[in-house]
Amino acid sequence: MHEASIALSIMERAIEISLENNAKKIISITIVIGGLSGIDKESLLFSFDAIKSDSIAARATLKIIEVPIKINCYDCKKNIILNNIFLMCPECGSINIDVIEGREMSIKEIEVE
Amino acid sequence: MGKILLNEKILAKNDLIAEELRSFYKKNGTFVLNILSSPGSGKTTLLEKVLPQMKESYNILVLIGDLQTTNDAERVSKTGVKAVQINTGQACHLDAKNVYNILKDIGDSSKIDLLIIENVGNLVCPASFDLGEDMKLLVISTPEGDDKPAKYPTVVDVSDCLIINKIDLLPYVNFNVQNCMNYAKGVNKNLTIFTTSCCTGEGLVDVIKFLKNSVDKKNHDNSGC
Repeated sequence: MHEASIALSIMERAIEISLENNAKKIISITIVIGGLSGIDKESLLFSFDAIKSDSIAARATLKIIEVPIKINCYDCKKNIILNNIFLMCPECGSINIDVIEGREMSIKEIEVE
Repeated sequence: MGKILLNEKILAKNDLIAEELRSFYKKNGTFVLNILSSPGSGKTTLLEKVLPQMKESYNILVLIGDLQTTNDAERVSKTGVKAVQINTGQACHLDAKNVYNILKDIGDSSKIDLLIIENVGNLVCPASFDLGEDMKLLVISTPEGDDKPAKYPTVVDVSDCLIINKIDLLPYVNFNVQNCMNYAKGVNKNLTIFTTSCCTGEGLVDVIKFLKNSVDKKNHDNSGC
């Protein structure tokens, strides 16, 4: 379960940035997770809560923006959202595609006081 | 109360170390292979078969990740190739810092032609951690079932090649090679796929040739020829 490592990376960076900005408390951290990132949302939330401890993030909530897998099909010249992980065009069956969204794994913003 | 906009990768710190490693490998012409698979798919046995055919031509270092024991490093060392075990304790993957720490302690790491990193056996977590490698090699063995690439798509998406191993067991297990290839290509159409048996030796010649070409190309690029 690498969600614990991911949660720790989020927490460390959020605390570091918040302290640099003279914040006293972290209210929330918003992250963006793509459908192809290999992250399980529930495990991540569980891990996040488990490591909050008595830091300035002790009462912080983790807000997760989920991004579905979106492809660009070169054959039907469309951008299409996939409902599964088979990276082919659901309309024409072509594998002449590029994944344009869905690999995200980033910290978007931190709400502080 | 305020908002701090960040928009940076969650694993930015790991990626930073991985980029440092990538520059180091590039400077020294080291080709780096990161091997990913489930536990028991035959990564170490594959190395035991492949390394004796490559060790005369290249200076090779193998790093092996496992939660506990030095069993696999001891097995690989018997081939005459230097192998270093990394025990992760409870961690399910290797990160760039693990690799950095080992290379820092090995004095002559600039002379390595081929660095092979046998990751912790796990089809999920190692996929997320960049180790600065040139190539990710995924190994799936026939007893695991031919739909593994469909069940674990992220690791297939990030891999460059796939070895379908233990094909000598095909008469005894419910595994259709073509189905496995189709599932894998459905997730990653650019995969280079090999089928091997480390018991009969079938397919190993092709893997060795492919690896040698990859190492030579990196060495060649580095020499500026």
